[in-house]
Amino acid sequence: MKLDRRGVLKALTAIPVVGALIAVLSPFFRFLKPNDKPWGIFTITPDLPQGGAQVVGKVSQLAKPWDSFYFTYVQRFVQYTPEGQEASNVPGVAIRLPKKVRFVNSEGYVGFDGETDIVLFSRICPHLGCIYNYVSDWHEVSAGYGGFRPPGFEQHALMACPCHFSIYDPEYPDNPGNVISGPAPRGARYFRFEIHGDDIVVTGAEVGAIAQCAPGGAASPREA
Amino acid sequence: MEAVLANLREWFQDRKQRLDLWDETQTARQDNPLYILGGLVWLSWMIVIVSGIVLMLWYIPTTTGAYRSIEHITYDIPFGWVVRGLHKYGGDMLITCITLRIYRMYFAGEYKKPGELTWMILFASLVLAMISGVTGYTLEWNQRAFWAAKVILTVPTYYDDIPLIGNLGLGHAIAYIFLGGPALGQGTLTRFYSIHFGISIVLAIVAETFFYRTRRRRLNVSAFAIVLVLVFLAFVSFINLPDLGQWANNNRTPLPVLSDWYFLALYQVVKYMPPLWAGVAPALLIGYGMLVPFLDRTKETLPTRRPFFFVVGLLAVIYWIGFSALIMLNIAVISRDPPYIWGITVVVLFAAFLWELAYRRRQARRGAASAPAPAGASRPAPRPAAS
Repeated sequence: MKLDRRGVLKALTAIPVVGALIAVLSPFFRFLKPNDKPWGIFTITPDLPQGGAQVVGKVSQLAKPWDSFYFTYVQRFVQYTPEGQEASNVPGVAIRLPKKVRFVNSEGYVGFDGETDIVLFSRICPHLGCIYNYVSDWHEVSAGYGGFRPPGFEQHALMACPCHFSIYDPEYPDNPGNVISGPAPRGARYFRFEIHGDDIVVTGAEVGAIAQCAPGGAASPREA
Repeated sequence: MEAVLANLREWFQDRKQRLDLWDETQTARQDNPLYILGGLVWLSWMIVIVSGIVLMLWYIPTTTGAYRSIEHITYDIPFGWVVRGLHKYGGDMLITCITLRIYRMYFAGEYKKPGELTWMILFASLVLAMISGVTGYTLEWNQRAFWAAKVILTVPTYYDDIPLIGNLGLGHAIAYIFLGGPALGQGTLTRFYSIHFGISIVLAIVAETFFYRTRRRRLNVSAFAIVLVLVFLAFVSFINLPDLGQWANNNRTPLPVLSDWYFLALYQVVKYMPPLWAGVAPALLIGYGMLVPFLDRTKETLPTRRPFFFVVGLLAVIYWIGFSALIMLNIAVISRDPPYIWGITVVVLFAAFLWELAYRRRQARRGAASAPAPAGASRPAPRPAAS
C-alpha cells in the first residue's frame, strides 16, 4: 500500500466532502420516518405512547385463584397521520394469583402500589412480539409448547408463546411473570393498574416491544 | 493506496469477464442436469416477474382488501388460479434453484478463482430472493404472514442491545422504517409491496444491461425444458393450489404457526438462541457465504482434498434439513436440545479440522517423497494449476 502526499491530501479533502454530502442528505431520511424531528432520525428515547386510564374489567370476574380474562388496552403513538397519532392495541391478560405478591419486576417497573393478588401482563411476547396465551393447565404447555416440563413448584397455570415457546410463570417469586423456559431475554411486560371498587383501571403499560398491533385489520371474518 | 485500488479494479474486471450467472457456458456440462440450474434460475425469475405483474391487475394492497382480493383472484377470476400458482410455485422454484446451485458451486469448488464474483452475486441473490419471499407472502395478509412479518421486524430492535456499541436507536429506527409506523399495519403492507416489487424490477434492469453489454445468452436451456417447467408449474398449481390460511388476526397468534419452508430451519434456530444471537447469526452466515472464496484459499476443487470446507458444507445441509424436520414434526424439546447441538457442532468441526491437518501432512509427505526438496516439506505439495 503506497501512501504519498497526493493520496493523503485526497483522503483529507474527501472527508469534509463526504461529511457535507451526508449532512445535506440526512434530512431526507425523514421521508421514511417523518415523526422524527430534523437531525433526530435515530432517537434514542422514542416518543412514548399515551394510553391514559382505561377500565379493562371487573375484580368480580376473577373470583377464584387462577381465574383470568383477556382484555385490550389502546395506546396512541405519535405518527405521521392526519391526526398526528395512531392507535394501537396492547392485548393483555388479568390473572388472580393464589397469594398476594409485590407486582414489581426485575427491571424495576412497578405495576401496582403495595401487595396484590391480581396481576396484569401485556400479552405481547418480550421475545419477538407474538401474542402469548394464558394456559390454565400446565400439561398443555408441555404438550404443545416445546416439551417444557415445569418443576414441582411451577406446576400451575402458565403463560406460553406459540411462536418460539417462551414460557412465563405469573407467580414467579420476586419477579412475577418471569421467563422460565425458552429464548425470551426477560419476563412478561406489566400493565400499571389501580383498583377502584370493582373496576380494574389500567393507567399505563411498560414500554418496549415495538410493533404493537394496529387495530386496523382486526375485523377478521374467518377468525377461528 | 492507488496500487491497491488498481489491483482491486483489475480483479473486478477479470471476474466480471468470467461471470457465469445464468448461461453456465463457463462450466457447461450439458449432460449433467445440475448444470442447467443457471438457466432455470433465469426462467423461474421471469415467470415470477410476469405472473406478479399480472397479479397486480387485481391485487388490492390494503389490510382490509388484500386477503379478499387474493381469494377473488384464486376462485372467481378466470385463470386467476394459474397465475397465482405460477407466481407462488415459480418463487419456490427460484429459491430451490438458487439454493441447489449454491450447493453445487460449493461442493464442486466452483466458487474458486475465477468464480468468486459469480458466487458472491448468487449468494446475495439468495438473500434478496428470501427477502422477496417474506415481503411477498406478507401481501396475503393471513395469519402466517402477519406473525412472520412481526417476528422478523422485531429482530432488529435487539441490535440496540449489542454490548459496547450502546443504544443508538438504530435498531428501532430500522424496524420503524420497515413497519412504516409504530405497529404492523397498513404502512407495513404498503412498504412491503414496494420492496417486493422493487427488488425484482431493479435487478431485472441491471441484468438486462449486463446481457446487452456482454451478449450473453439469457436462457441456455432447450425449448423442451422450458415447456416442461411451465407445464409442471401449472399442473402443480392445478392439483395443489396453496391454501390462503386464516385472515390475519392481530390479537391471536395461532399454535402452531409456521413460516414459509425456506425459513423453517432458521425459525427453529431462533427458538434455541437468545434473540440478539438469533439476529446476528444469520448475518454471520451470510458473511461466511460471501467470504468463503477468500477463506478457502487452496486451488483444490475435489471435496476430499479440502476436508474442512467440505464438512462445513455438509453440516450446513444436514442442519438445514434436520432443523426443518424438527419444526415440522414439532418434536424438539427446546429446554433440552441446545447443549447437544452445540456439542455435535464443535465435535464435528474439530474432527474436520483434524482431518484437514492429517490430509495436509499426508500430502506434504507424499510431496517430499516424490520430489526430495527439504524446503517444501512443511507446506502442502504443489498442485496442478487449475483454471
